[in-house]
Amino acid sequence: MIKINAIKIEVNTDSGLFGADYEFSEGFNIIRGDNTSGKSSLFQSILYCLGFEELIGGKNEKTMQSVLKDIVEYPKGTSHRVLQSFVLLEFRNGKEETITVRRSVISSSRAPQLVDVYNGALLTGKNKAISSQPMFIHDKGGASDDIYGFHLFLEKFLGWNLPYVFNKTGESRKIYIQQIAPSFIIEQKSGWSDFLATMPFYSLTNKEARVIEFLLNLDVYENKQVRQNLITSKRILDDKWARLYKQLNRFAERGGGKIINLESKPTILNNTNPISILLSHEGKNYSIPDFIEIQNEQLIELETRIIPKVSEKIEQNEAKIDSLTESINAVTLNYELLSEEVGFDRDKLKRYEIQLESLKEDLRKNKGAQKVKKLGAELDSKMAHDLCPTCEQPIKDSLLPSDIAQNPMLIEDNIIFIEAQIKMIKVYIEGLAFNVSEKEERLNRIRMNLSNKRQSLRGLKRELISDDRLPSELEIEKKLNIKKRIEFYNRYLEDFNELLDEAKQLSAEHEKLLKDTEKLQSDFFSVTDRKKLDYLLSQFKRLLFEFDYKSKSSDFIDISLDNYLPVAQKQFGDDLKSYDLRFDSSASDFIRCIWAYTCSLYLTSNNFDANHPKLLMFDEPKQQDISLIHFRSFLTELSSYSGVQILLFASFENSDESYQIATEGLDFNLIYIDKKLIKPIDNKPLAS
Amino acid sequence: MSDFTIKNITFSKRPISIPADYRPAYKIAQICLILKHSCIGEKSSLLKFHLISWAFKSIENRKTLLTFITDPKHSDLSVWGIEPTLNRALHIAVADNFCSYQNANYKLEEKGLEFAKKIEEVKDILADEIALLKQIGKRGITEKSIQDLTNKWTLFND
Repeated sequence: MIKINAIKIEVNTDSGLFGADYEFSEGFNIIRGDNTSGKSSLFQSILYCLGFEELIGGKNEKTMQSVLKDIVEYPKGTSHRVLQSFVLLEFRNGKEETITVRRSVISSSRAPQLVDVYNGALLTGKNKAISSQPMFIHDKGGASDDIYGFHLFLEKFLGWNLPYVFNKTGESRKIYIQQIAPSFIIEQKSGWSDFLATMPFYSLTNKEARVIEFLLNLDVYENKQVRQNLITSKRILDDKWARLYKQLNRFAERGGGKIINLESKPTILNNTNPISILLSHEGKNYSIPDFIEIQNEQLIELETRIIPKVSEKIEQNEAKIDSLTESINAVTLNYELLSEEVGFDRDKLKRYEIQLESLKEDLRKNKGAQKVKKLGAELDSKMAHDLCPTCEQPIKDSLLPSDIAQNPMLIEDNIIFIEAQIKMIKVYIEGLAFNVSEKEERLNRIRMNLSNKRQSLRGLKRELISDDRLPSELEIEKKLNIKKRIEFYNRYLEDFNELLDEAKQLSAEHEKLLKDTEKLQSDFFSVTDRKKLDYLLSQFKRLLFEFDYKSKSSDFIDISLDNYLPVAQKQFGDDLKSYDLRFDSSASDFIRCIWAYTCSLYLTSNNFDANHPKLLMFDEPKQQDISLIHFRSFLTELSSYSGVQILLFASFENSDESYQIATEGLDFNLIYIDKKLIKPIDNKPLAS
Repeated sequence: MSDFTIKNITFSKRPISIPADYRPAYKIAQICLILKHSCIGEKSSLLKFHLISWAFKSIENRKTLLTFITDPKHSDLSVWGIEPTLNRALHIAVADNFCSYQNANYKLEEKGLEFAKKIEEVKDILADEIALLKQIGKRGITEKSIQDLTNKWTLFND
């Protein structure tokens, strides 16, 4: 909840201090002033202090009217030049904590991005000695910096917990507090052109929907969040599965086998079709346990056979030597080619890494340069504004000779440029590193293969020169090898079962995810959500009727479930189609819609104790020649509310009579801006 | 053949990326920090600026300079880089009142001092540079030592 206590504007001019000073009451306030009185300046000053000036269009002092930054005209025809101006706003939250915000419009010492937050009632309180803390608005960190970000502070002060949403590029980001504001603050120039018209974009998809979901505290948001979590879990699971898939394939390769019944995408594993590894032996495929069995049989057979003599095998051995030598030569060539390639890749990788380091250094320096320049700007330095300190003409932000006709990038662009390069290099490095490790693995395999072959070659050769009456050494070796192989595959089987367990676990996770997704898909809206939206619709229709809306029959008005804005429905054959209400309403009727929608949002939130700040601000709501009678209905509706602060700025056609007609008998607090908002202020020191 | 006739080519100039070192604010920040930390009376000659600025450029340069200060006998420091960008930055710094030019020396002004202080409040900017300057200290490089070094630059010692 937010309640605005008071505002103060201070404008120092070359002919003394000017300003304005107003207090607001808790309920319905009508701020009346003629068209040129500066009523909107007052409205805008409130937004400015809250850092909501993006609703007016733009950021910082640019959005403020000239009376606060250039020239004060008082009385009419006499102008005074503005030297310095500040706006102060005192407000409190639901816990009765009061703070005062002070922000400069024109000041040589205080940038408009900097606000001072006083921890107390600086305007209405007696004690003026209140500690304050400077905070940032709009700068990076304004909404996220714990200590110095004003909007994060404001969010906490209001007891809000703004939701995280996904932006266009898929990053998760908090909704900005300025995006909530157009749901309860309607600005004069473009606020009446559409529902939530002045909402800043910030590359957020379907921002209106997110804001209304937050304002009415709809569960649908949470459900969507749950779905988002499911999507993330699924992505993680996919990754894990892909890794396991690779691992299993490599594992199969290591044992000289082939994997079956394994999909590359997560699947539910059933025992009917188990994942297994097939090992081939003499042209036939066997599972690991079967293969071990065969080896065991062979071993038994060998052990019972008499070992043949060397002389019996000479011819056979010679043929084997020939084929082995040939194959060794081929493999060696492969090995050399590949190792050269790996060496080359490693070099390239190292070069990229050096480049990355220097880019990072460059980025650090550029960010430093950006901050240094900002600091310079605080010191009233011409250079920091890209002006020549001597002649005040624009200069380039570069120390290169001015006759080099090159334009340096803006430092912000330069930072983006370097960041993009870093990203690119990182992608290169990642790809290359993967490549290198793959090739290294292949090299290893080739090396193993080579040493195995060489060993058998050595064995064969040794046998050729040994005494031909001895038992064949090779046969003995063969026996040993089989023993070794049996040992290896026993261990291999154990490792494989471990991997299988992992796969089964992933399969179980996958199954649960599928179930959860299935459960969720039916309906995002909870029962309370439906109630809230029904209530919103019924209030909206009731108010339209009250304000004499005529363009459409209320039977055909609905609230869109996509963005929660009112829509008109039209019958097309058997289908009902939804249209933007704006196109189906006359100009004055659309203003009625905005009145009704803004009020209904508050009423719904209030009825269900949701997140509305319980503040409504309207600047000149009597638009488009709406008749005084209907304007009066609107004011009557507002005056019936309790527990909400309303600041309504209106000129009443600059006429006392209109004012009488519109407001007679209603309960409200009148704040009258007499002639001009900004008036001279007695600046004499107080007598002590 | 006519397929390949090009009627005209236009070039549009794009802004180029330049090193942070070539940004006026960055260089002026270095100037103010040098004057604050490594100069007696916050005054320095042109050549001293160039020497320290050269040391900022690379780790090797930094080592060479520190050896010159701590162990002059084994120092091989004899010449250092002179860069026109520094001179331009000094021009701007003087015009913008960060420092002033008096008797062939540059002196830190109040605005420059405040600038340097502000920079040091933000911890992570120009940190390497500030560390080096603190290592050098106020008396690390005197104008006389620079004079001695530059005297050796002449080809005809008389």
